[in-house]
Amino acid sequence: MTPLWLALHFPRFALEVFEPSGDPDGSPAACVQQHVVVCANEAAEAAGIYAGMRLSSALGLVPDLSSHEREPARETDARFRLACWAGGFSPHVSLAGFDGPDTLLIEIGGCLRLFDGLENLCARIREGAIAQGYSPCLGLAPTPLAAEWLARGGEEGAAGHAGLRNHLGSLPVGVLGLKQRERDTLAALGIAHLGGLFALPSSGLARRFGTRLPLQLAQALGEVPDPRLPFVFPEHFEQKLELPAKVSVSAMLLFAARRLLASLSGWLATRASGISECTLVMLHEDLPPSHLLLSFAGATRELARMERVLRERLANWNLPEAVTDLRLEARDAVVIAGSTAGLFAQAGAHELEPVIERLRARLGKEAVHGLALNADHRPEMATRPLTQDQAPGKGRGQGKTDSLGPTRPLWLLPRPRRLRQHAGKLWHQGAELQRLTSAERIESGWWNHVAGDVDADDAINEEEKQGSIADEFADVRRDYYVAVNDAGEWLWVFNDGRQWWLHGVFA
Amino acid sequence: MSLASSPLENLLLRPDVWRGDRLASLGTEAVASGFNALDAELPGGGWPRGGLIELLAERQGIGEISLLLPALRKLEDSAPIALVAPPALAHAPAWAAAFPLSRLLVVEAEGDDIAWSTELLLASGALGALLAWLPAKTGNKSLRRLQLAAEGRLSLAFMFRPPGSARQASPAPLRLQLAGARQGLRVDVFKRRGPPSNRSLLLPVERPLSWQRRATAGQSVTLPSTRTLELVR
Repeated sequence: MTPLWLALHFPRFALEVFEPSGDPDGSPAACVQQHVVVCANEAAEAAGIYAGMRLSSALGLVPDLSSHEREPARETDARFRLACWAGGFSPHVSLAGFDGPDTLLIEIGGCLRLFDGLENLCARIREGAIAQGYSPCLGLAPTPLAAEWLARGGEEGAAGHAGLRNHLGSLPVGVLGLKQRERDTLAALGIAHLGGLFALPSSGLARRFGTRLPLQLAQALGEVPDPRLPFVFPEHFEQKLELPAKVSVSAMLLFAARRLLASLSGWLATRASGISECTLVMLHEDLPPSHLLLSFAGATRELARMERVLRERLANWNLPEAVTDLRLEARDAVVIAGSTAGLFAQAGAHELEPVIERLRARLGKEAVHGLALNADHRPEMATRPLTQDQAPGKGRGQGKTDSLGPTRPLWLLPRPRRLRQHAGKLWHQGAELQRLTSAERIESGWWNHVAGDVDADDAINEEEKQGSIADEFADVRRDYYVAVNDAGEWLWVFNDGRQWWLHGVFA
Repeated sequence: MSLASSPLENLLLRPDVWRGDRLASLGTEAVASGFNALDAELPGGGWPRGGLIELLAERQGIGEISLLLPALRKLEDSAPIALVAPPALAHAPAWAAAFPLSRLLVVEAEGDDIAWSTELLLASGALGALLAWLPAKTGNKSLRRLQLAAEGRLSLAFMFRPPGSARQASPAPLRLQLAGARQGLRVDVFKRRGPPSNRSLLLPVERPLSWQRRATAGQSVTLPSTRTLELVR
């Protein structure tokens, strides 16, 4: 495996940590440091603002320019998040750029197959960065330094060693990040591109510019090793994101939270783990923080799934107050077994999990469930909803009920309905009922009858007045029959000694 | 692919083209319904996958789900089966007799959420079968969306709709009317791909006791003053 480095350079990074750019109708914005513009967004550049311009001149050009004072701490956090996110693509990530941590380096030589080839992988990385609101320039080369230079020069680059010298040769010397004095010297020598430097003998270069430049040229070409300090992924995931302005619309939080989720997703990938829930903590100015729990149907690290759940949750969330900070906490990461890609695309049960999450996020957790058997004779107690997992073999009393199956109705009424008796016959919806089977006695449940008999009896009397049945927690003693009417409805009815009730439907 | 056949014949072989004089095969394999008489009426010889199957049941409790159980049993092992907006509580012991409960997913929804959930579940393509109870006001637009979501999937998509919907046009390629009867479940296939069916079928769907005994049980329940059982002839 030959190493292949992908460098991501973010020319507008200092500004993009405040707000996303690449938005064509975005208002002009710039990031300034000591009254000098560091970088400007597309709209501001179109108006003639460039890096190095004084803020006063920029405001003269665009009076409604929104300017942000550069915040190195915010940039450090953002770089850390990006490095975590990059962990989703490769475990070899480095923030050790040649002149500061401006560039994110990812070694992708070992994971090309996993992501269906170089083109797909680069597209995914680029899309991932854009989705987080960054505008990346990619550079691709067998050595990290060459990749960085290519990224800064705005060129994709070459994958192999073969054309590397030619490729780098066409880059302007500006990508080297030299000092002003050195740049002047190069200009005086008439060297505008790296190709001119490669043509010069290295001893001469060392005399004029010090030993650093010839060493870098050799490292970029892979003649001298260029070790990079790897990024160390944190042991626990808890990241905070300070919002540039107070946000009071929950939908607007989605974008900021996406940066946190992307980072979490990458971090989980480096540990081959997934989470089944995480908490988004929203800090307010005055009120105590709000906690938004995101839960998933199964352990996952898929960003799209997390985002969908977050979107649904945020849509139904009423913010008590404007949010100043976001914090994402994820505990209890569990190892997910890797899946082997099938020869043919097959949709399996795992495809269902994201759907269940979306349904739950909208309908509520209890509304989407499986069923399990409960070892109880009373029909209304025999079913137990399963909301956690649907692992088979959870139901008890499986063997016993198999023989009962056909004699039990598929539907049970939420509460038994009183049947009308007229002229000594049973009636349901205007049709006379015929009883087909002999009585099946079901009785039990005395153990639920602990609240005190007097109270319970009162409750029964009260219920009966309302034409309903004694509560299901009472001790039941019922004779069940299968009944049918002329319309062909098959029903499950019972007599509790006083009344006739409809309880089930043989659908 | 044979080069000898003419382009027209090739075109007619496409699964999405059907000729009026024969029952269309839907391209995807159908699931035998477990009733030979019904299979003969259904295009492809069974419940077609990848399209809505509308069931207009006159009432509840006539065997409308028992009609589907043989097919649900035949589905691939572990293919999940979803119930969307069931009309009553599902009684686990009865369902457990049909297939393992771990395959069952119940989605309780109301109003517009019913069509939304159904569409989402169908579009996932991960289900073996889906049984949805659509409200009366479900419009053609929603049904078309559901049909699109079901197309090309391997799921069986059974849509229960109120009997009044029979007069309303529907994008579902297969529509059946179900009614209770003394000797079985009466099934009318009133819309299908192919020539219209004019036979009314009487199917012996599974019941808690045999249809034979149902037929001979002539007299009605007389309310016992004592709780002794009447002998059933």
